[in-house]
Amino acid sequence: MTRQVQDAYIVAATRTPVGKVRGALRNVRPDDMLAHVIKNVMARAPGLDPKLIGDVIVGCAMPEAEQGMNVARIGLLLAGLPNSVPGMTINRFCSSGVQAVALAADRIRLGEADVMIAAGTETMSMMPTMMGNKISLNPAVFERDENVGIAYGMGLTAEKVAAQWKVSREDQDAFAVASHRKATAAITAGRFKAEISPYTARDHQPDFKSGAVKIVERVVEHDEGPRPDSSMEGLAKLRPVFAAKGSVTAGNSSQMSDGAGAVLLVSEKILKQFNLKPIARFRGFAVAGVPPEIMGIGPIEAIPRVLKQAGIKQADVDWIELNEAFAAQSLAVMRTLELDPQKVNPLGGAIALGHPLGATGAIRTATVMAAMQRGEAKFGMVTMCIGTGMGAAGLFESVV
Amino acid sequence: MSNFIVRKVAVLGAGVMGAQIAAHCANANVPVVLFDLPAKEGDPNGIVKKALDGLKKLEPSPLAAKDRVAYIDAANYDSGLEQLRGCDLIIEAIAERMDWKHDLYRKVAPFVAEHAIFASNTSGLSINALAEALPAGLKPRFCGVHFFNPPRYMQLVELIACKGTAPELLDNLETFLTTTLGKGVVRALDTPNFVANRVGVFSMLAVMHHTERLGLGFDVVDALTGPAIGRPKSATYRTADVVGLDTLAHVIKTMQDTLPADPWHKFYAAPAWLTFLIGKGALGQKTRAGIYRKEGKAIHVVDLAKQDYRPSAGEVDAEVAAILKIRNPAEKFEKLRAHASPQAQFLWAIFRDIFHYCAFHLESIAGNARDVDLAMRWGFGWKEGPFETWQAAGWQAIANAVKADIDAGQAMSAAPLPAWVFDGRVGVHGKAGSYSASARVEQPRSTLPVYARQVFPERVLGEAEERGTTVFESEGVRMWTAPGDADIAVLSFKSKANTLGPDVLEGIIEAVARAERDYQGLVIWQSKPPFSAGANLAALAPALQAKDFAGLEKGVARFQQMSQTLKYAQVPVVAAVSGMALGGGCEVVMHSSRAVAALESYIGLVEAGVGLIPAGGGCKEFALRASEAAARIAGGDVFLFLQPVFQTVAMANVSKSALEARELGFLRESDPVVFNAQEILHVARQTARALAESGWRPKLPPRGIKVAGRNGIATLEMMLVNMREGGMISAHDYRVAKGAAAALCGGDVETGTPVNEDWLLAVERHEFVELLKTEKTQQRIAHMLETGKPLRN
Repeated sequence: MTRQVQDAYIVAATRTPVGKVRGALRNVRPDDMLAHVIKNVMARAPGLDPKLIGDVIVGCAMPEAEQGMNVARIGLLLAGLPNSVPGMTINRFCSSGVQAVALAADRIRLGEADVMIAAGTETMSMMPTMMGNKISLNPAVFERDENVGIAYGMGLTAEKVAAQWKVSREDQDAFAVASHRKATAAITAGRFKAEISPYTARDHQPDFKSGAVKIVERVVEHDEGPRPDSSMEGLAKLRPVFAAKGSVTAGNSSQMSDGAGAVLLVSEKILKQFNLKPIARFRGFAVAGVPPEIMGIGPIEAIPRVLKQAGIKQADVDWIELNEAFAAQSLAVMRTLELDPQKVNPLGGAIALGHPLGATGAIRTATVMAAMQRGEAKFGMVTMCIGTGMGAAGLFESVV
Repeated sequence: MSNFIVRKVAVLGAGVMGAQIAAHCANANVPVVLFDLPAKEGDPNGIVKKALDGLKKLEPSPLAAKDRVAYIDAANYDSGLEQLRGCDLIIEAIAERMDWKHDLYRKVAPFVAEHAIFASNTSGLSINALAEALPAGLKPRFCGVHFFNPPRYMQLVELIACKGTAPELLDNLETFLTTTLGKGVVRALDTPNFVANRVGVFSMLAVMHHTERLGLGFDVVDALTGPAIGRPKSATYRTADVVGLDTLAHVIKTMQDTLPADPWHKFYAAPAWLTFLIGKGALGQKTRAGIYRKEGKAIHVVDLAKQDYRPSAGEVDAEVAAILKIRNPAEKFEKLRAHASPQAQFLWAIFRDIFHYCAFHLESIAGNARDVDLAMRWGFGWKEGPFETWQAAGWQAIANAVKADIDAGQAMSAAPLPAWVFDGRVGVHGKAGSYSASARVEQPRSTLPVYARQVFPERVLGEAEERGTTVFESEGVRMWTAPGDADIAVLSFKSKANTLGPDVLEGIIEAVARAERDYQGLVIWQSKPPFSAGANLAALAPALQAKDFAGLEKGVARFQQMSQTLKYAQVPVVAAVSGMALGGGCEVVMHSSRAVAALESYIGLVEAGVGLIPAGGGCKEFALRASEAAARIAGGDVFLFLQPVFQTVAMANVSKSALEARELGFLRESDPVVFNAQEILHVARQTARALAESGWRPKLPPRGIKVAGRNGIATLEMMLVNMREGGMISAHDYRVAKGAAAALCGGDVETGTPVNEDWLLAVERHEFVELLKTEKTQQRIAHMLETGKPLRN
């Protein structure tokens, strides 16, 4: 804080609705989703000269194939930003989106930029596996026991956390049901409306009768994941996926999803110059490493670290977006840090809302910003665990 | 006979039989439209769509490959009848109600194409009576085609003409059913329940009668009437549960109503206990309770004396079991008849009454005795038909015994045996054919051209056996030529389950050498499935016990040499596969110039089950096929092709059909799949001949096989780590699978390194021998040899 020359303010944040994998957004390219959120976040700061944008930093956890080719640069050009605006794609798996916000803020805080866009985009519908198009592991991983955890699938790490932190199947399922319940209630009450920029998917489909290509339009307004009918009984029927005698099921894990989010950050100078109304001040970001085989506990290290950096007490944070990669790790984090369940994911989490990997950090930042605009939070946090054993946490202070 | 082309089939009725018949047509690359009533709500084709979903869940699967179901179009009688016009064959399979069938016939008749065949899958209604609802123009194109459940697996189809059915049409249909759908056709007369059900249901009634008369338990009777006497495991009462007790009662009722003059008529009635169970809703398997009921893991059976279920035991008396083991049928029957125990008396009685019944009715229900015997084999899974059993036990002796029982009033009917039984014959099957009681001659087999495709049709006992001319014979194999085909030699194994021991290996190598010298091609064919149950593990045991690993490696090397000999033979070698081709047997298939596989081919590399990896060239072949496949796509990644193969090998997956064997990579796209197992020898010989005629040269040994190498092994190991840590596989499973990974990836070399076949074979051999050295693999082998079952350790 003392090293920075100026503050970074968030003036707008928006996101697409989150689609279920192979759902409503299945044919929407990640660069198109990205262009959509960039256009819409700029539209929320009318009058701001786009030529001033110092860089567009985009998080993406599998930056290859449709989301390869430096998807950031392609997305910003498709969004109609001037070609003088640069763009870069960054990857720290599930935290990529909030990492992008932190890097963008840092450019401003250092005084080397005054306007930045941070974003995230991910389509899991188009990625053939969760591990990308070509999977190739380093044989050296198996040469030392302490590295074998690198080979663990995420579900298996959740099993390890469940066992080590003694999180029961019932607790995991109850957590999942609560996530669906909160998310469903939030959608019904229209609480995501402000942050979402609805997406019109245009599917080009063959019309076999006429021989013509027909375009089927589908306006997607809401997150697709939440199930109003989720119940303990229903979840209890699901079998563990990752371990024969395990407790982690498809029902108490995050959903695979498609989505994008974008955040517009500016300096104080820009606020005044363009008469923009800030939502929040960026208050800091931290990452930390943990053993790969229990990657889910990453936030246990990252959250205290960012709070210490910012000099803020945990009790002062009143809105925490904790990515629900798995109910098991979410509960382990909450119990260890004694997070107040009332403050964690008040509108539901990734088990219900979905988790488009590298986009999630930007998407949930938009959720925190919306909460601040409603006056529901002074300090807000976006935090998550990260594959191969890390945790990340970004902190925001409302200036509404 | 001009070509009979079936471009499309329509099946009317999406019930159990209709849907499965449709599935089997789709299996055979025949597109189908499946009809049923329009659904009252929602999608009008909803009923059919639900049936199609049901097909995917049924076990054993009616679909030979998952994608097949996409070739069945759903339709309904209200809006879909126009689609009938494009169908060359229409099979009606709705519920067994004459009035419903008549209504449907009237409704669909205007939409039936002018050339199309219209056939009913009725299991017992009169074909002539059914035909009455048809317009005159359609009657000559109408007949019965009676499939048995499950139609993919049961070989029998009864073909029933009605008055005026055009003979050529029946021939065409028989040809289609035989070659395209792979069925065994028996021509039946239009009598109630036709042949198989008439005899089969009477057999069940006889069993029920004698069960009650002798006070035996249902479980005991099932122990007596199953494999002990050459009938299926489900025997009598479990079969009834599977069929459905209500269905069984319905069929019995049909006999009661339609056969009033039959001497056994008073037995055509459901026993009181059967009616009672049906009344209670205990209909068998479909209601989870019938004659048997599962209680937790235990199986309970109805006890008539207790009027309740009790735990099922059912054991055959030691003395009776000993009699059943007697190999000489004459002696066996004599002893059964003489033995006083209720079980022996029961067995004699059920055979006596079935002999009596078949002899009496032969004239009216079937063309000849062969049709009865084949119908019972193919339709009820009996190892031999009733006439075969009788003839084997001594025709006259049995005839006299049956007569004596009839005279003594002990048989179920007093009707005398027909006179032909006593005309001095020694049986009903002989060199000239099988006896026809209606024509009073021995009838030879059908001369329909389709049967020329069956070099060795399924023989009934007593029929002349053709063995061909031996070229050479060893302990392990016999190489021979079939009559009229001197240029293509056939090799058959002689070992139990056609396993591959040293004798067989050497035999194969010798046969290839002889074929290269003297013949146009070589076909590997077994007179009976399986093709091969794999390498002979017992042959490994002595060297393993002596820890002679150098010797074991030599043995593996010899196996590999055999595989390579097949692959690089200078004449085409065609494997004709039917039934299991496991482990080493699979490797023989993979190394042949071509495989011709019967639909029911169960192929797999199952070495993991005994803690080993395929080392007869199986891993090598997969590694090089992955390299070739990858080379065909831009930027090809060998690993993408190896990953599914690795799972197949590591999990010891076995294909559930020849089509699935293609999907798993055991068969190549160029390997023909033949629906009728009786035709594989013919097709294999023609294939060998065609390959020879097209100037056969073996493939050139591939150079520069790109392997997945050490990164590939590590990536596969990543999956294994997850499975082991997740408690899904044992540490030794992991060890075995890692060996397979190494062999499939070409060893610990850089990814993309070009290697040759010898390198891959060496890696495979090394991994195999290393596994042999592990205690847990040795335990697995010992366990398999002792129990015949895999050990998970």
